[in-house]
Amino acid sequence: MKRNTLIVLIGAVLVIITALLLFVFQVRKSEEAVVTTFGRPTRLITEPGAYLKWPKPIQNVYKYDQRIQNFEDKFSENYTLDSITLMTSVYVGWQISDASVFLATFPGESAVSLPNAQSKLEGVLRSAKSAVIARHPLSDFVNANMQDLKFGAIESEIEQSVQSQLSTNNYGIRIEFLGFKKIGLPENVTQAVFDRMRADRQRLISLAENEGRKQAQIIESSADSEAVRTIANAQAVATGIRAEGEAEAAKTLSTFQQNPDLAIFLLRINAWEQSLNQRSTLIFDERYPPFDLFRNLPTNSPGRQP
Amino acid sequence: MERNVQKNGLVNLVVAAVIFIAAFVVTTYVNSLAGQACSIFLGLGLLVTFTGWFQMRLDENERLERLEVEELARARGESTLFETKDAEVFPAQHARMQFDRFFVPAFGVLLFLLEGGGAWLLWRWLAKASGGVVPERALPALSLFAIFALLLFLLGRFSVTIARLENQRLLRPGASFLLAGAYVCALTALGLAGIEAKFPLADLWIAHGLCVLLGLMAAEMLVTLLLEIYRPRVKGKIARPLYESRLVGLLAQPESLFTTAAQTLDYQFGFKVSETWFFQLLQKNLLVLLLAQLAVLFLSTGVVFIEAGEQAVLERFGRPVAMLEPGAHFKWPWPAERIYRYRTEQIQTFDVGYTPDAQMGQQKTVLWSLPHAKEENFLVGNRAPVLVQGADTDTNNMLKAPPVGFISVSIPVQFQITNVQAWAYTNADPTALLQDLATREVVHYLAGVDLNDVMSSNRLEAAQVLQARIQSAANERQLGAKIIFVGLQDIHPPTPVAGDYEKVVGAEQTKLAAILAAQAEAIRTNALSIARAFTTTNLADAERVQLVTAKFAEAALFTNQIPAFEAAPAVYQQRTYFQAFARATANARKYVLLVTNTSDVVIFDLEDKIRDDLLNLNVPSSPNSSSP
Repeated sequence: MKRNTLIVLIGAVLVIITALLLFVFQVRKSEEAVVTTFGRPTRLITEPGAYLKWPKPIQNVYKYDQRIQNFEDKFSENYTLDSITLMTSVYVGWQISDASVFLATFPGESAVSLPNAQSKLEGVLRSAKSAVIARHPLSDFVNANMQDLKFGAIESEIEQSVQSQLSTNNYGIRIEFLGFKKIGLPENVTQAVFDRMRADRQRLISLAENEGRKQAQIIESSADSEAVRTIANAQAVATGIRAEGEAEAAKTLSTFQQNPDLAIFLLRINAWEQSLNQRSTLIFDERYPPFDLFRNLPTNSPGRQP
Repeated sequence: MERNVQKNGLVNLVVAAVIFIAAFVVTTYVNSLAGQACSIFLGLGLLVTFTGWFQMRLDENERLERLEVEELARARGESTLFETKDAEVFPAQHARMQFDRFFVPAFGVLLFLLEGGGAWLLWRWLAKASGGVVPERALPALSLFAIFALLLFLLGRFSVTIARLENQRLLRPGASFLLAGAYVCALTALGLAGIEAKFPLADLWIAHGLCVLLGLMAAEMLVTLLLEIYRPRVKGKIARPLYESRLVGLLAQPESLFTTAAQTLDYQFGFKVSETWFFQLLQKNLLVLLLAQLAVLFLSTGVVFIEAGEQAVLERFGRPVAMLEPGAHFKWPWPAERIYRYRTEQIQTFDVGYTPDAQMGQQKTVLWSLPHAKEENFLVGNRAPVLVQGADTDTNNMLKAPPVGFISVSIPVQFQITNVQAWAYTNADPTALLQDLATREVVHYLAGVDLNDVMSSNRLEAAQVLQARIQSAANERQLGAKIIFVGLQDIHPPTPVAGDYEKVVGAEQTKLAAILAAQAEAIRTNALSIARAFTTTNLADAERVQLVTAKFAEAALFTNQIPAFEAAPAVYQQRTYFQAFARATANARKYVLLVTNTSDVVIFDLEDKIRDDLLNLNVPSSPNSSSP
């Protein structure tokens, strides 16, 4: 009996829990819920709390996250005003503005309807993005002068365009914010930019190396010029010094004037002596003094008695 | 009584069929993996229940046939009728025997194939299964599986008891399957409850567990089939149905484990352990204890511990009612109140511009020219627009190179959650949004600066500007986060062109080296020229002194020679001549011709003779030998 009571008690608890689960549902602060009765939306719940409902299939509850959802579209190519292919990707923050309309537009549970809505939104977004990018040159997106950049204005244009589409077609969602997540160039243009960056670096390399050569040559030629100038000055000074010596030596000429014959004889002897060197070959005959001494010397030959 | 048992078997069959179909539908609705395994189990139970019920009908027909024949024999007063084995006389008996002989083994093999194949296919499917339970549908499915469990438990328990009391061997397999099916449904409901309690893998784990159970059942059936071949057939002995699983029976009646354990303990200890008050209390109140444990588990959801560095939002029926700080807190049990934890004090980090790579991160040296992470290239401005001639120049295909450049940056961003309410309830995925905002600010900033500026003079201010901008964007979006650090840890040209940037630095060094070498040469040239100038003037001065001194000496000598000359002019001249002759010709080669009246011809070879050592001289090569 006790065991049966326990089993009945367990059964009762299970039934109560099941009943609660079937008849009661919760809505979080981050959610909104639409209750449908036989498929027709009959109640919109925007405040958090616990609510009653009839079990399925009489009533269905569709809960939606009313917080801002954000997603990033594909990194896609677009043409700019100056005919340059630009690749962009934007992130978008969107929110369900009217859960009842959202349920009608994107039916199903939120696990199905949210991706579905995101997919539709991405289509609208890509269309608006392409149109807006085509109205701007590349320099509005990328510019070394920050004040010429129109990044924020372009984002606003895309956002307004998307918002306008959503409002017109009553999707039940609205855009909260939008921004560029990534901008780039197609692969072949990227390679061209890399080539240009390399060429720019090669220009700088050439500039640096040849500037070095130029400055080196200037320095060396300046030094050579200075050296020549210094030596020339020194030689001029040396010539002056020698001239002074000559002038001073000339004072002794009066002394030689006392006996010019002797002076000239001595000069001749001196010149004759200096004109001979070690490798001179001299040929004399017996008449030339002092070799004339050989002429009068006695010999042992009988035919030549003195 | 037999008819009641047969009715009981039919009820079991109908309930098993209904619950199998309902479980399959609910499983498809909620997309539960454990539900799939549970459906297979219930399907097998349905087959076993059907076979048991059919066999019961055959037995019943045989019993009725035997009664009729007995009645007929008594009316005729014959007994030979019982001795015949003719199938025409006992068609029901014959049908039952044929069923036992052929259908039951075939059904055993079929059961083995279904169990084994089901386990194998299910295991493979679980490995590839994508998605999982639809969270919104978990609660209704949970309640339905709980109801299935309750129904199966009540009916299974009743049938098992009837089968045991009346020794109905054919009712037992189906009843055991029903009872075990109740537990399997309860497990499936538990997996769905795990989904609700934020344990998303609970469903998968239970599915794997059920898959293992199916495999064990298949193995048991295989062993049973093999043993059936060698089982001794004793006439009159009623065999256990081949398709009855002992494993399922054990699962359905776990109290039989107690009996077995008690017998083992009695044998081991030598006295009746199973008759002690503790053992009996445990045996009687096992269900109560299990339920108490479940109750404790349920009540334990009323206590929550918030770890250091965390804050939690407490929601009562979905409405935030309190912010819980670190420590222990009481709350209403699940699902009335739930908490959502957030790491508020902990510094969280995400990276912009790169994805860390474990393998590349092993490098000890970080070089521009070697990738050290999965880096992105960001567009930056370039002040000089350039047109680059395309490869196909013949067709005038000018490939436009826009006035932009690329740059790689590695920016770790650190942040803390400062306002949990704003963080939790404003954006669905605030971390991803913050990362988007930070990336947008980096893209925006780099798009508006010059490549060379940002890599050099503007680099220092870039991090501060970015931090301020990211914080501003986060505030605008009401994220409730504080940006505490934005680090420009790496900013460099893209890897494919980084080598060229390094070469520029090398060229600058080459330039400096050339200038320094020229300066060294200039210093040497200037020094040598000064030295040469000094030598030149010194030499001239020496020559001057020498000249003057020599001339004055000669004058002094001449003054003294005059008296000697005047005293004997001829002698003095001769003496001076011969003295000079002797000095001058001392080393000269002299030929003296002593005969004057002959005509001698003397030939002199006055050509200079080159010295041998000059011919063998090695001339060192000059570095400027090539220059004129």
